[in-house]
Amino acid sequence: MNTSTTNTFFTPKFSYSSKNRLFVRLIFFIAISVWCFGFTCRSILPDSAYTAIASLFLKKIYGTVCHQHIEKTIFSGGNYFFVCARCTGIYFGALIASLNSLIILHRLPVKMKLLYISSVPMLIDVFSTTMGIYSYSKIIASLTGIFFGSAVFVYILAALENNFMDKSV
Amino acid sequence: MPSLVCGFGAAVLTTIPGVKSFACCLIVPMAAVISINLDHRINKSEFPVKAGTAILFGIMTGIFAALFSTAFDVLITSIFHTNDFVEALPQTEALVKQYKLDAILDQTLVIFKQMSKDISYYGFSVFYTFAMLISNLFVNVIFGIFGGLVGMSVFNKRTTKS
Repeated sequence: MNTSTTNTFFTPKFSYSSKNRLFVRLIFFIAISVWCFGFTCRSILPDSAYTAIASLFLKKIYGTVCHQHIEKTIFSGGNYFFVCARCTGIYFGALIASLNSLIILHRLPVKMKLLYISSVPMLIDVFSTTMGIYSYSKIIASLTGIFFGSAVFVYILAALENNFMDKSV
Repeated sequence: MPSLVCGFGAAVLTTIPGVKSFACCLIVPMAAVISINLDHRINKSEFPVKAGTAILFGIMTGIFAALFSTAFDVLITSIFHTNDFVEALPQTEALVKQYKLDAILDQTLVIFKQMSKDISYYGFSVFYTFAMLISNLFVNVIFGIFGGLVGMSVFNKRTTKS
């Protein structure tokens, strides 16, 4: 009786699966943070010879995943980010979602609806600006990007956890 | 084969500036999703798609996209004998000279200048090509893996529903 009470009391807060989950989510958070730091470093860090030289290559690296049009890029701290406003939104959305996933540790369901619904505002924005219905707005592009990025992150994380980790336990 | 085709397609789309402004960072993940779909259609692969298979398709698509986009970059640079790196270097050099340079930065700048010189004279720089290939491989493989995972979930969900 006494033992069972003690056992219940000392039941670990996280199961083996939860510990694995926390580890994977922490890695994701660190990786996304590094990625976000990379394209904002020129604006965050003080100007120096190191940042100037690093930005030469960073611009090229981020150029593989973004068009980097100056008129569509966020200007902050005296410099432009290395990715456009929409990509900035997507990556920050993923960063916010990854931070949130560290706080709320429960298993995530894989929901297609979430992915489709989150992509609708971004697609409408892309279509509207392309067709000239309204002019490109960095704020709208960022916001729709944040919404989409956070949903995509949740979707990818759920797919990864449901297919690898929970089977291995 | 689907990874090769989709990787090539992704590399072409990332090279065309107009198309790149549409899809941005979604080109390579989309290519990975399509490669899984193509594999299913061509090889009649069975569903559900395994996570390992999806990741493998993502990696392969990313590798092919990186190889082809680097090849296109090299080709365009060899034709025009210039690129954005060569054009941005004088600006960076002027900026860097405002600060006190240590030995490492000094050497880095020397290497950059040599790269720029090689591109201007011969239209090709081994070090620049290698650096671009590595960075393209790194970025495209990661984005390809994400695309593969999304594709796997989408197709498996559809199969479960049907």
